[in-house]
Amino acid sequence: MSVSAALGIFGCGLLSLAAAAAGLRVQRLSLRARIAAMLAAGLAVFVPVGELSVAGYVRGVTGDVSMTTLVLAGAACMAQLTGRAPIGPRDRRALLWLVAAGAVFLYPFALGLTPFDPYALGFGSVGFVTTLLLVTLAAWYARFNLIVLIVIVAALAYLGGGYESRNLWDYLIDPLVSVYVLGRLLAGASRRRLGDIKLAFGRSAGR
Amino acid sequence: MTARTAADLRRAAQADRWLRAALLVAAVLVFGGLYARLFTASLPGGFVSRQAVARAIPVAAPFYRAQLLPNAAARSVHSATAAEISGGRLRAFWYGGSREGASDVAIYTSVYAPGPRTWSPAHVVITREAAQRHLQRYVRKLGNPVVGRDRSGRLWLFFVSVSVGGWSGSAINLMVSEDEGETWSPPRRLIASPFLNISTLVKGAPLQFADGAIGLPVYHEMLGKFGELLRLDAEGHAIQKSRLSWGRSSLQPVIVPWSKTEAVGFMRYSGEPPGRILMVRTTDAGRHWSPPVKTVLPNPNAALGGVLLTNGGLLLAFNNSQDNRDDLSLAYSADYGNTWQIAYRLEGGSTSPQAPSREYSYPWIMQDRAGDVHLLYTWGRSHIKHVHFNLAWLERRR
Repeated sequence: MSVSAALGIFGCGLLSLAAAAAGLRVQRLSLRARIAAMLAAGLAVFVPVGELSVAGYVRGVTGDVSMTTLVLAGAACMAQLTGRAPIGPRDRRALLWLVAAGAVFLYPFALGLTPFDPYALGFGSVGFVTTLLLVTLAAWYARFNLIVLIVIVAALAYLGGGYESRNLWDYLIDPLVSVYVLGRLLAGASRRRLGDIKLAFGRSAGR
Repeated sequence: MTARTAADLRRAAQADRWLRAALLVAAVLVFGGLYARLFTASLPGGFVSRQAVARAIPVAAPFYRAQLLPNAAARSVHSATAAEISGGRLRAFWYGGSREGASDVAIYTSVYAPGPRTWSPAHVVITREAAQRHLQRYVRKLGNPVVGRDRSGRLWLFFVSVSVGGWSGSAINLMVSEDEGETWSPPRRLIASPFLNISTLVKGAPLQFADGAIGLPVYHEMLGKFGELLRLDAEGHAIQKSRLSWGRSSLQPVIVPWSKTEAVGFMRYSGEPPGRILMVRTTDAGRHWSPPVKTVLPNPNAALGGVLLTNGGLLLAFNNSQDNRDDLSLAYSADYGNTWQIAYRLEGGSTSPQAPSREYSYPWIMQDRAGDVHLLYTWGRSHIKHVHFNLAWLERRR
């Protein structure tokens, strides 16, 4: 198995593991049971049944996942295992907004609705790399360490040819994390709106 | 605040400072690497085009031959492609199985020997199961193959595979042969789309660039339908691409270069009537393309094939109808696509034998080193048909 296939299988397996752990709500179990459950889920995900493992089937559908998905899936697994979220709310919120901005820029144009193709920038564009550098420096200055870390990991994987792709976008974001992020942001916005309505209703009822 | 808590805070602040310093150093290093890659990348080369030679009446006796390729295994065959191999032979590929999209569809090959003018029995190049095993991912069905040759003489066989859904969920895979197609490297996946890498297909012939890169015309079918030209490095990784069209009505590009920087591209049209073949042009070796325009040639939402002949003429094989695929014709242009004349009706005439289902489609046209023209196309889905003629025969049709 090539390095890129191994990394691809690992990424999809980690994502499957995070989804399984969240679905089973492993966090509610005792520490010993959590470890046993995660080990069992890991075996189920990575050990091939016939020609392919579950991770291989997932990879057939999702392709290789970005480093952002990889880090978030790893953090989700850690949270289920230890009971503590390794990513703070401030870092998480900043990452969500940044991924959302990237997704809104990339995906609609990549559908081919206009001659402009932002995906092509990821094959090697001074403007794209410089924009990413400025975003990374701004994130470092504002102490959003998670964003800086993800950009570093993604750029290292890209430079090392970690996946089959030679496009930097594929290492930074993917549709899965984009849908997840947009869902989280929309859910957060609707919660805040609901809270505002309740607050307003409470005030008017108190008059 | 206790002394211990204050010490903990100091340690935490110290650790944070180290972390931030490490992140900054790492960021500077990786961005240095990104810029180094950008500024050390070689400039993309121009097209390697067939040099047009002075037009002259060919001296060989005109001939035109047609035959069906052997097909003992597959009930349904489609989408032929071919390359000239050693000894003036042709190696053709197509996909076949119980029906289009079935899980038993495999990629087949056969070799044409010019002496006896016969095709060898077809045999399987790759099955769905083998593709799945080598690609380390689930594969549900196989589709269009296209073959090309790189500057070092290796054959590159691209083929489409689908994991989920219909053809709009396709991805492209690549195998390479160093022995004229006798043996092949394991397939690997080309990454060409940010949408889970799905919805990228092939139909047009690969091109060569002067820097050793391969140009692969591809198209997308998810929501939008549009064409692109991928530039692949010597290992077959997509390293650049340009958009040939946009919107929801153009697909299956065929690109014909005639100089280092100039080429014309033709595309199948799937939009509102009138159905016409679309045409695009480039003057900077495929980095930018003119907006697509409709030609005078009809198109029933069907694939076409094109080749630049050694006499400088452009030959298209296409379905000469806006409605169906039962007429397959040749069109000739002496001015790189500005004007056309219908040279010959290959299928659809009252005298030609008819296939069980009257579909004559997906033409693949090429010229061999001896100057003969070969055309392969789907003949009623039951066979691939091979038409072989020379320029003397074509001259008589003009």
